[in-house]
Amino acid sequence: MGRIVLKNVEKRYGKDKQYAVKDFNLEIEDGEFLVMVGGSGCGKSTTLRMIAGLEDITSGELYIGDKLVNDLPPKDRDIAMVFQNYALYPNMNIYENIAFGLRLRKEPKHEIDMSVKGTSRILEIEQYLDRKPRQLSGGQRQRVALGRAIVRKPSVFLMDEPLSNLDAKLRVQMRTEIIRLHKQLGVTTVYVTHDQVEAMTMGNRIVVMKDGVIQQVDSPRVIYSNPRNMFVASFIGTPPINFIEGKIVESDGGRLQLQTQRSYLEIPDAHAELLRKHGKVNRRVVLGIRSEFAHVEPEMTDRHPKSQITGTLKVAELMGADMYLYVDIGTDKPFVVRTLSGFDRSEDERITVALDMSKALYFDKDTTESLMYE
Amino acid sequence: MAMPLIRKPFRFRRRSKLFRMSRFEKVVVFLLVLFSAFMLLPLVYIFNHAFKPYEELFVYPPTIWARNPSFQNFVELFQMTSDSVVPVTRYIFNSLSVAVLSVIAVTGVSALCAYPLSKHKFPGDKLVFATIMLTLLFAPETVSIPRYLVVSHLGIMNTYWGHILPMVAVPVGVFLMKQFIDQIPNELLESARLDGAREIMVFLRIVVPVILPAVATIGIISFQSAWGNTETSTLFMQDEQMKTFPFFISTLTTNMANNVARQGAAAAAALFMFIPNLIIFLVFQSKVIATMAHSGIK
Repeated sequence: MGRIVLKNVEKRYGKDKQYAVKDFNLEIEDGEFLVMVGGSGCGKSTTLRMIAGLEDITSGELYIGDKLVNDLPPKDRDIAMVFQNYALYPNMNIYENIAFGLRLRKEPKHEIDMSVKGTSRILEIEQYLDRKPRQLSGGQRQRVALGRAIVRKPSVFLMDEPLSNLDAKLRVQMRTEIIRLHKQLGVTTVYVTHDQVEAMTMGNRIVVMKDGVIQQVDSPRVIYSNPRNMFVASFIGTPPINFIEGKIVESDGGRLQLQTQRSYLEIPDAHAELLRKHGKVNRRVVLGIRSEFAHVEPEMTDRHPKSQITGTLKVAELMGADMYLYVDIGTDKPFVVRTLSGFDRSEDERITVALDMSKALYFDKDTTESLMYE
Repeated sequence: MAMPLIRKPFRFRRRSKLFRMSRFEKVVVFLLVLFSAFMLLPLVYIFNHAFKPYEELFVYPPTIWARNPSFQNFVELFQMTSDSVVPVTRYIFNSLSVAVLSVIAVTGVSALCAYPLSKHKFPGDKLVFATIMLTLLFAPETVSIPRYLVVSHLGIMNTYWGHILPMVAVPVGVFLMKQFIDQIPNELLESARLDGAREIMVFLRIVVPVILPAVATIGIISFQSAWGNTETSTLFMQDEQMKTFPFFISTLTTNMANNVARQGAAAAAALFMFIPNLIIFLVFQSKVIATMAHSGIK
């Protein structure tokens, strides 16, 4: 019942303006936790607001359950939404805030009371029921907002950056709480965020958007390990993925190598076959490699003797257990290496970075599409 | 016997704020107190004047405090009309009902006008708002003739409508309410719509409670203008029994052979005129101050 289908949905503000959302096709399964992620202005919130009915759909079809809801007002769509700024009614106390939707649906008093109390128990806000929203902290307010959404037992939850106004610690806590809530209730949830960590940790599937167009829809694992294009690769993951541009050349032994400004990186057979298939020999491509697959420890660099780059260590950032090394390898952006915090080399020292080429990704230089994505 | 040495426990006492002020601050405070006392004078004067017996009203030099306070003036005010067709209570009744009804009408209409202008964009909404603002430029005198024509053609002369309808269009009210509604986040209204509220419920349950300070302010302003209004009684009411209290007061002292007669009754009536304003202001003052701070009009 909580299945959402978007068919060729488009949104344009004004007649000659650009598309805010363009040709959006997606099926969201019942009970799924779908995260939409992207930079600001990518159309993710607009899409969510179209599902909610707060924004008109310029063209296309939107189904919730099996019903076409394009022209249905928000209140008849059986959805609940949580906003970034909580949007609690300032004039009502917490109890009334949660009960408001039920009262409008003219449910019997004792049932409202039971639902409100039950919901507040789940969210641990029982002791605040007679307070006004302004007397609560940000985290508590967000709980109330969640409570107001779940008390109506809708078939779909829509969340528009609900954690963005919270401080870092509370955000992590509420994140797990929302995941727990979703497991407990099993209601279809569409969650919009610009924070890729939230997207990775919360979603069953992630929709990465850019300029109103879907870039990729996949599970977090696939999005991370096999991104469809350079935008997805760079958007997901901290520190961001490293890109190195180079030319594919064939060595004397018939093996493929990536020729970069400073060195030759040998390409393993499996990837070589793929590159040949795409006809990329003697063409320029972009190599993408995540920071954890670049190594600086001697025992690791020995393991990858044929795929090494040398560079100057510019900055070492200690993150706790990990350390991010920013190495200047002659490209315009520093190359980031993730290593253990025990690494001890001073800045401006020359170091050798070895790449685990079996984990490398290759992108078409012109289209930015991944050559490995099928 | 030696006295046992008892040390007094140390107690920190905050000294009065007055002792912690610099000399300059003290001077400023003194001056400000003086000014506020001066501002209070009219109030003191209205109260005392109403209770002064006749002989004291014309004492020279005038006094502020009533030496022998009496209700003589009030008695005169009520007795004066006991033999005429329309008793003073009828004027007061008229005034009260007109004031209350116009407060309700003005706040209601202003809020209902401001809400769509602020939150429901429609073609030409800016033009409508600009036109409303433009009417602020006209002095009330310039519109009294068109107003008279409208009222007479509507056929509402000598009815309460004639009192109330001309008072309902308050551009300042629309402006103030719109400023307030502009500040309500859209999410709040959207949230209510998602919760299942119809537009009228959104307006009554969310918008109105949030803009209550503005409602209170407009309420006070419209009460004061309706309560003190003589224009509608003069222009649109020919029946004596439809006229209002302020009009009655203005007849007390004008058209008299000398302006000594009925000064006592006028003084009592002035107090009558003033009291409701005072009460209403005291009740709503905290809200009004919030509005003033909010709208940046001070």
